[in-house]
Amino acid sequence: MFLNITSVAGEFYGYIPFGDIVLYVTEFSAISFVIALFFTLVVYFTKPEKQLESQIGGFDKLNYVSLEELKIRRLMAILCGICTAFAMLTGDLFNYALFLAVIGITNIGIVSAVKKEWVLNAAYYYGIIAMISTLPLFGGAALILAKTGTLSILELAGKHQDLLFQKMLYAAGMVGETGVAPFYAAKAEMFRAPGAPYILMIHLSSLLIVIRTAEILLTI
Amino acid sequence: MDIGRLWNYISRPDIVPRLFAVFLCLIMIIEFFVPTSYNEDQLYPKYPPQSQVFKSSLAPYDRGGVPLKIPADIKTQYPQFEPIRGRITAYLTPPAIWLSERTPYFGTTIVSTPGGILDEILYYTRGLDTILESLTLLVSFMIFSWVYLHRD
Repeated sequence: MFLNITSVAGEFYGYIPFGDIVLYVTEFSAISFVIALFFTLVVYFTKPEKQLESQIGGFDKLNYVSLEELKIRRLMAILCGICTAFAMLTGDLFNYALFLAVIGITNIGIVSAVKKEWVLNAAYYYGIIAMISTLPLFGGAALILAKTGTLSILELAGKHQDLLFQKMLYAAGMVGETGVAPFYAAKAEMFRAPGAPYILMIHLSSLLIVIRTAEILLTI
Repeated sequence: MDIGRLWNYISRPDIVPRLFAVFLCLIMIIEFFVPTSYNEDQLYPKYPPQSQVFKSSLAPYDRGGVPLKIPADIKTQYPQFEPIRGRITAYLTPPAIWLSERTPYFGTTIVSTPGGILDEILYYTRGLDTILESLTLLVSFMIFSWVYLHRD
């Protein structure tokens, strides 16, 4: 019964083996992969927005992204997009946790070049949450490994083990890494930075990651 | 109590790490009392602690085997995707061989990792993980150096 996976993600199309880490393509992950790659291309080809800030009793202020700032932010946004795209395909819990860690740090990178105090403060606090949440994320993956003896989602899918609390820990890690609702304030503050397509990549990666984590946790 | 004040409290970015830490504490306290079991049939088995000390200078990473000739005993999830597994795990560079003949603690030294013992689980069976680990480090260095070079 090799790679016989029935999941909420729809039909199983195929797999891409990298040693023990087997990426697999389902209907759901193929669509998410294409969306993430498409927006990566959008980020690559689009020039950043300019913001006109109206001032009371003075001249309006034009916020724009300088070329140097654009380069590092575009690089980080593209890295974030590629990592999001491949996180959609990965078939290994530990590998997925590592993708989340990379996405978290590139999210900080996207706003780190903005020279605005409140944005950098928010990015700092988001970075602290991202660092804390590696503990439940990798801890959850390690507990699943200890209980079932495997990390592969394709293997775990067929086993039907009681992993409720391990999944809770894993989900808590994802919640911290993507900043789901009650822990959203730091990320919301990051979105206020100028430079539209790069900021959108933070948003898109969180959205896709939340759906993908739900899919993984329902599959295993 | 006015609920609006609560919402305003959690909308400050400096509160969010505290909030998350409290949330995590609650989950982990529950988690601590949940009975769980250990599966003996592990994917990446380790030898018992201290079982190799003074028997092999590569302790605790001695997996046996002769490089390129006799494969070491490495258990993997999908052996069909790893046709040459175990072939290079015992490979040592000449300086590493020289060192390992002189000290019984070679496996725990820092020289054992780059150019010493090639951990196949890291570099062959789970290679994508290692790429991502180093990517995390690389990205954080990129951010740091950009912020450092463009400081006012």
